[in-house]
Amino acid sequence: MSEDTWTPRRNKSLLDPRTKLLLIFVEAVLVLATTGGDRLFAFRVVFAILPFLLLLTAKRYMTCIVGLLVLGSIYFLEYTLFPYANGALASILLIIIMIINRFLPAYLTGVYVVGTTTVSEFKAAMDKLHMPDALTIPMCVMFRLFPTIREENASIRAAMKIRGIRFGGGKAGKMLEYRVVPMITCTAKIGEELSASALTRGLGKQKKRTNICHIGFGWADWAFFLLVAATVIYWILGVLA
Amino acid sequence: MSKQESGNKLSGRDFINIGIYTAIYFVIAMALAMTGLIPIFLILLSSTIGIIGGIPFMLFLTKVKKPGMILIMSLIMGILMFVTGMTWMPIPFSILTGIIAELVYWSGGYKSMRSAVLAAGVFPLWSCGNYLPLFLQREQYFAGRTSYGQEYIDAVMKFTPNWMFFALLIATFVCGIIGGLLGKALLKKHFERAGIA
Repeated sequence: MSEDTWTPRRNKSLLDPRTKLLLIFVEAVLVLATTGGDRLFAFRVVFAILPFLLLLTAKRYMTCIVGLLVLGSIYFLEYTLFPYANGALASILLIIIMIINRFLPAYLTGVYVVGTTTVSEFKAAMDKLHMPDALTIPMCVMFRLFPTIREENASIRAAMKIRGIRFGGGKAGKMLEYRVVPMITCTAKIGEELSASALTRGLGKQKKRTNICHIGFGWADWAFFLLVAATVIYWILGVLA
Repeated sequence: MSKQESGNKLSGRDFINIGIYTAIYFVIAMALAMTGLIPIFLILLSSTIGIIGGIPFMLFLTKVKKPGMILIMSLIMGILMFVTGMTWMPIPFSILTGIIAELVYWSGGYKSMRSAVLAAGVFPLWSCGNYLPLFLQREQYFAGRTSYGQEYIDAVMKFTPNWMFFALLIATFVCGIIGGLLGKALLKKHFERAGIA
């Protein structure tokens, strides 16, 4: 995942990066924050299913299947086990079910968007939206660094396991110093190298930078816009009524 | 003098530094937020972010030499909170706290250690913005969370009367100062030796 972040790929993804931003926005407002209440329930279901379809178009079959399995087992739990559970078990189950129901679609959207958008495409989209560099460059760097941080963190965890520094290893108190600090050090070092490489490519210049990525709207984007517009209109009608 | 002025404008390197440290900060904040599923930890969340987040933030402050960087970092945290489903309220709130933190560090000329620790105390206040819907739109907030179970809601309700928000602000500030001092100690012990501070 981390290798292909910088190389512009030939096969374009179905959606335009700007549409993906809108997709994230809608998922955050509609599915995560559950704006609109019960009236928008049908639309919420549509937007919860959407990420699975998008993952299929991006040929991420594994992620899609795992997601469906998790969702399926959650519904299985909800309908078979939950009616018989009571007390603490019931509330724990309920929390797990709720969290997964709400967060899984948004999480999969995140996987889809991060997996199919290159940093260049993201920057091109933000430039077209006239976002200032002050916001876009830090965000580009962040998206570039998240996979790196995960990798470094896994290596550090493995190294520290040998020394018994882990949860339940008797030295959990040292975790802060020997897990968090190395993670910060590694990331800062990698970031400095990244900074040097970006500056040699002319990031420090105040001139307007060009971008190799051509982005534009296709039929899928317009279909998505229609869907969002329908949701918004339906919601406004509901508020007015 | 003109060179001094142009030196006050943020350059590409500064933007990249903001990105690096915001990424670290965000990962730590998210790891801590996972504990927020247990009711009592939801309330303590802003404080724990203050303490643990103080470490990368103090390191970030060693890179801050120009006005605006802390504000941008704060704003990005607010936007990310919006994206992760905390409603729009964290965004204006994070801008406000970002400006205050910026002013605190600016008053120390961007190098005084004392104002750095103070800024580390002010900065994590952005995370209190996540609680704003809990206090301002109480019914709506819990309507969205009925499915968490009545026990969870009762537990959260019990710990959050309205004055609690100000108590949270103060607690976060104090914890942020602790985090800043911790970060300062670790700066000396680890980061300077590693050559990145």
